[in-house]
Amino acid sequence: MRPHDDRDLKGAPPLRRPETSVLVKEALRKDANDVDALFVLAALRAQDGHPDEGLTILDRVLVIDPGYPGAWFFKEKLHRMRGETRQAETAREQGEATEA
Amino acid sequence: MTAAAELVKMKICMAGEAMVGKTSLIRRYVLEEYEDRYTATLGTKITKKSLGVAHPQDGHRVEVNLILWDIMGTPTLRDLLKEAYYHGAHGILGVADLTREETLRELDAWSRSIRTVAGSVPTYMVVNKADLEGEARMDRGTIDAFCRDRGYPWSYTSAKTGAGVEEAFEGLVRHVLSR
Repeated sequence: MRPHDDRDLKGAPPLRRPETSVLVKEALRKDANDVDALFVLAALRAQDGHPDEGLTILDRVLVIDPGYPGAWFFKEKLHRMRGETRQAETAREQGEATEA
Repeated sequence: MTAAAELVKMKICMAGEAMVGKTSLIRRYVLEEYEDRYTATLGTKITKKSLGVAHPQDGHRVEVNLILWDIMGTPTLRDLLKEAYYHGAHGILGVADLTREETLRELDAWSRSIRTVAGSVPTYMVVNKADLEGEARMDRGTIDAFCRDRGYPWSYTSAKTGAGVEEAFEGLVRHVLSR
């Protein structure tokens, strides 16, 4: 088997994408402020039924990088999940301004 | 005197399952580089590139500022993050892997998710890893039928060799401009 981007160079069976939660954990172990990992951690917490925790983590992402792609629109969604219309609208406006 | 080119800002989002080569395609297109080792994308990566094209309708010159959104191919987070990813998208580059037929079928799920946010956004499809022809798990007829039914222009690409990559991104740009 020829080497390729999803194949082990020694010819082992195709690799699988590692579990996202494992990737997040590894990235945060190396750098607790890794914004990519924090963004995904926020999504994982929200998906597990903890939008409050997701929002807290997302706010940390936005402190580190206020322009993190998609973060304001995700924040809007999490606020809507909590029934917080005004905060959701504010987050949306921020998103529109950031990505204009 | 030459007329000034029209300036267009275009948000292009990648779509497709994990490990189909979304990141490699952007890397090849923008940096002309390829890395054999797979690195899973975490979060969202944005890359910018400018290109000049003739407008497909009347041929006038258009300077396009592409904003390429590389998105992690994690289906379980797709619906949760769809607004974050696809809000304001002008075009989608759907990516399938020639050696895994299910990656073609799964593009329907990506498309459904995208449509709920961005509406009927122009989509161009590539079947990547064309260099692995000997391990192909779908033929041209299958791909043709799939794309014809959905109205997607499509082409083969190889991020590894670079074959078809520039043409695919430019094909998508022209597809978006022609709408």
